[in-house]
Amino acid sequence: MGLLSILRKLKSAPDQEVRILLLGLDNAGKTTLLKQLASEDISHITPTQGFNIKSVQSQGFKLNVWDIGGQRKIRPYWKNYFENTDILELAELLEEEKLSCVPVLIFANKQDLLTAAPASEIAEGLNLHTIRDRVWQIQSCSALTGEGVQDGMNWVCKNVNAKKK
Amino acid sequence: MFISLWEFFYGHFFRFWMKWLLRQMTGKCELQRIFDTYVGAQRTHRIENSLTYSKNKVLQKVTRVVQSEVDKYVDDIMKEKNINPEKDASFKICMKMCLLQITGYKQLYLDVESVRKRPYDSDNLQHEELLMKLWNLLMPTKKLNARISKQWAEIGFQGDDPKTDFRGMGILGLINLVYFSENYTSEAHQILSRSNHPKLGYSYAIVGINLTEMAYSLLKSEALKFHLYNFVPGIPTMEHFHQFYCYLVYEFDKFWFEEEPESIMYFNLYREKFHEKIKGLLLDCNVALTLKV
Repeated sequence: MGLLSILRKLKSAPDQEVRILLLGLDNAGKTTLLKQLASEDISHITPTQGFNIKSVQSQGFKLNVWDIGGQRKIRPYWKNYFENTDILELAELLEEEKLSCVPVLIFANKQDLLTAAPASEIAEGLNLHTIRDRVWQIQSCSALTGEGVQDGMNWVCKNVNAKKK
Repeated sequence: MFISLWEFFYGHFFRFWMKWLLRQMTGKCELQRIFDTYVGAQRTHRIENSLTYSKNKVLQKVTRVVQSEVDKYVDDIMKEKNINPEKDASFKICMKMCLLQITGYKQLYLDVESVRKRPYDSDNLQHEELLMKLWNLLMPTKKLNARISKQWAEIGFQGDDPKTDFRGMGILGLINLVYFSENYTSEAHQILSRSNHPKLGYSYAIVGINLTEMAYSLLKSEALKFHLYNFVPGIPTMEHFHQFYCYLVYEFDKFWFEEEPESIMYFNLYREKFHEKIKGLLLDCNVALTLKV
């Protein structure tokens, strides 16, 4: 292989960009999750008005993670962010047309609390077993300690790969 | 490269000889010359730098002492620098005030930090009373039906229990909200009613908590030094921190409605713009930001 073709090959495989929407109820821990992903300080977080966005590199992907405020008042704005979304992280939105076939990852957060419901219970509560039109996964995690967060992202990268091919 | 070389020579060589030369010419040490030339925050700031970068161990230490020891250290500095209290009577007074401001700023950060680290606790009667006080101040004519209630959204909390909204700011967020509502009641009512604007509206309480974060991080990064050195001739206290918070709340509301953002979804964009504006104002050594109504 000549130098030129190596260069050409490098050029033809730029980082794929993936758009991830983080949605959920207020005080679910979306911003903490986002900051944990970006390895930022999580001790000064305040409720999100509007949204936060961060880009993180993972396994050759550029993940653009959108963290949208969960407050009831701003949920009507969620749909403005649905265009071109690669991964989705909440079940309520499965019927939204713009999001059909988008893989869904549910983070069962706050597992560091003794009172947290286990992932299996949440899966049952959300009737995840009835989802047929897309791949889905439930991942227990603690955004506070970072446990399980990376596992979730690995699943994201794997499934985006499968979807795009 | 050239600049860092210059800084190296200046710090290690020229600064010493410059000071020596000036001392021979004026018969005064650097600290005295600063008192002669500067006032306000610029004076305190220069004294602080002169002490911090001093090669003298006694002088270096004084910016890190506690308030109760300030008197003793002023005497130490005067002994170390051979300053005759009869020839320069004002030195002792000026030095004391500067040291109170310098050490006071550091103490204020520690005090604010300890309040911030205290999470809101529903089992703490004081916390609960403070929360009810906030409701009564903002909604004097409306009764809260229950402690857990959808009504909290009317003053801009997210859910039916405000407890979860304080998060990283802890009880500091609530104390700030109550302080503003109590000391600027009519302004608070006006801002609350404006925040319910159908198009430009925002959530009053959580934006308030967000501005607590702004005030806190400005204090932490030492950006508030010029402001507090100008504003408080002595030890800055919690009260002064709350006052600055009130300034932010009042100014942010004005800024938001002047900018006319498309929707609340652009909050962080405008928040950052406002943050930059405030940081710019705080760079001026004559700054003193007060809420003028």
